[in-house]
Amino acid sequence: MIRFDHVGKTYPGGTTAVEDFSLTIDSHASVVLVGTSGSGKTTLMRMVNRMVDPTSGRVLIDDEDVAGVDPVKLRRSIGYVMQASGLLPHRTVAENVATVPLLEGVSRRRSRSRALALLEMVGLDHRLGDRYPSQLSGGQQQRVGVARALASDPNILLMDEPFGAVDPIVRAELQKELLRLQSELGKTILFVTHDIDEAFLIGEQVVILRPGGEIAQQGTPAEILADPADDFVESFVGSGVGKRALHVDEVSGQQVVLDAGDRPVGVLREGSRS
Amino acid sequence: MSTTSTSATQVLFDAPGPRGRRRILLISIVSSLAILALIALGLWQFQRNGQLAADKWLPYLRRDYIAFLGKGLMGTLEATAVAAVIAFPFGLVLALGRISRARALSAISAVWIEFFRGIPMLLVVYAFLLALPAYGVNLPRFWMLVVPMILVSSASTAEVFRAGIGAVDRGQDEASAAIGLSRGQTMRYVILPQAVRLVLPSLILALVSLLKDSTLGFVVSFNELQFQGKTMVSITRFLVQTYVVVSVIYIVLNFLLTKAAGLLERRMRRRAAEGGGRSR
Repeated sequence: MIRFDHVGKTYPGGTTAVEDFSLTIDSHASVVLVGTSGSGKTTLMRMVNRMVDPTSGRVLIDDEDVAGVDPVKLRRSIGYVMQASGLLPHRTVAENVATVPLLEGVSRRRSRSRALALLEMVGLDHRLGDRYPSQLSGGQQQRVGVARALASDPNILLMDEPFGAVDPIVRAELQKELLRLQSELGKTILFVTHDIDEAFLIGEQVVILRPGGEIAQQGTPAEILADPADDFVESFVGSGVGKRALHVDEVSGQQVVLDAGDRPVGVLREGSRS
Repeated sequence: MSTTSTSATQVLFDAPGPRGRRRILLISIVSSLAILALIALGLWQFQRNGQLAADKWLPYLRRDYIAFLGKGLMGTLEATAVAAVIAFPFGLVLALGRISRARALSAISAVWIEFFRGIPMLLVVYAFLLALPAYGVNLPRFWMLVVPMILVSSASTAEVFRAGIGAVDRGQDEASAAIGLSRGQTMRYVILPQAVRLVLPSLILALVSLLKDSTLGFVVSFNELQFQGKTMVSITRFLVQTYVVVSVIYIVLNFLLTKAAGLLERRMRRRAAEGGGRSR
């Protein structure tokens, strides 16, 4: 469980990134922080592994204040996936994945075999393990980034716009893969994005942020769509006039779903849960 | 990083068209002729003064001549090698000192670097030859040359290393911190390996200047190539010939070093572009 307890962050220059933010993330839940740039979403996420220290309030993991934990130790116990994979170009893929286990004193052979198993787990051929990151495609590099984050078997996974730099097709693939992984591993995931579609896809809980880290609305994707808190949320998720403003029309006895521009996007089926 | 720079060069470099190629060819021919004319002029002058006479050049094929200059060559190589082996790691230490967060250490390193970078090496050699013996510090001739070489070279290579460290992608720092490397570990496992690779060609060029610095050995009468050449001139009176031969040896040595640097640089750029071989 991760708990933000009235945290704030004001930089020495006087800019306030986050004013007063509180949120509880249950264990094994996947929560997405979504907002435009300047909403403080990345700052908030970085408070969890102390890449940023809050200037007020506390961040607690399983009721322990992270401020009292050694940053290096803390970060090794938390998986972190960043936008540009952040792989080390001079080390092979397998060595990249095994970096932290090796530093923790796991033997070379064991950490290597674990790294190869992790590569398979994120959907990569283990033979890629001996390549260098630059020999991989962007999507593959991102998968390696995920494998590295899982290397020390952390309970918490922080993902900072992890799929922001890949093309839409690969992004869709990676999102699907993440959902599959999550259903197998059940980590506590804190995911940051500015893409509301991605947020609704990945998050069991979605937190929509206004600038300054103020929560505009939080809830399941369905709750937010059904009952947007205000105009800001409505325009952000596009349920007012955007592409999510769908309506139903009857055409030859069928319920056809149309978008805001009256273009058909689908057909309504009874109890369409399957 | 190199990948982008390679493609950037390709984008920025426009292959010359037919007219451009003709112009390049013309300029090449004209400048080649000019250089040949200069050489011919020089040779003609030498000829007029009898400097090209065979009996002034053939001795350089004699075994004792070769041995004499060979001894100098060995001295040069030895001084350069020893100086490099000590100066380069020391330069790295100075660079790390300079970028250290500890203010005092950083300041001391900076002053040290700037001092030895700014001072002509000849003055340092004089210090070891003339000043220090007055205070009872008397080094062997070899070290009177090599210690100044180390002091001066380590200061300039420190700046090379510092530039290399600065050139490593900033994201690497952050990525390393995020996965839980301490500052020291980040430097050791992430930044330095990449920085050293980046500066390897520059280090070889530093070797070239180190090799040329070793010519100051004649000041302390250490038997390096230049000093041997000087001695040879005073015995044989073959001034032009000796210095031509000595120059050619220096040029060949430095050409090979520069060539090696270029080769290494190309290999690394290819490696960065393709991701390189399997070994590391």
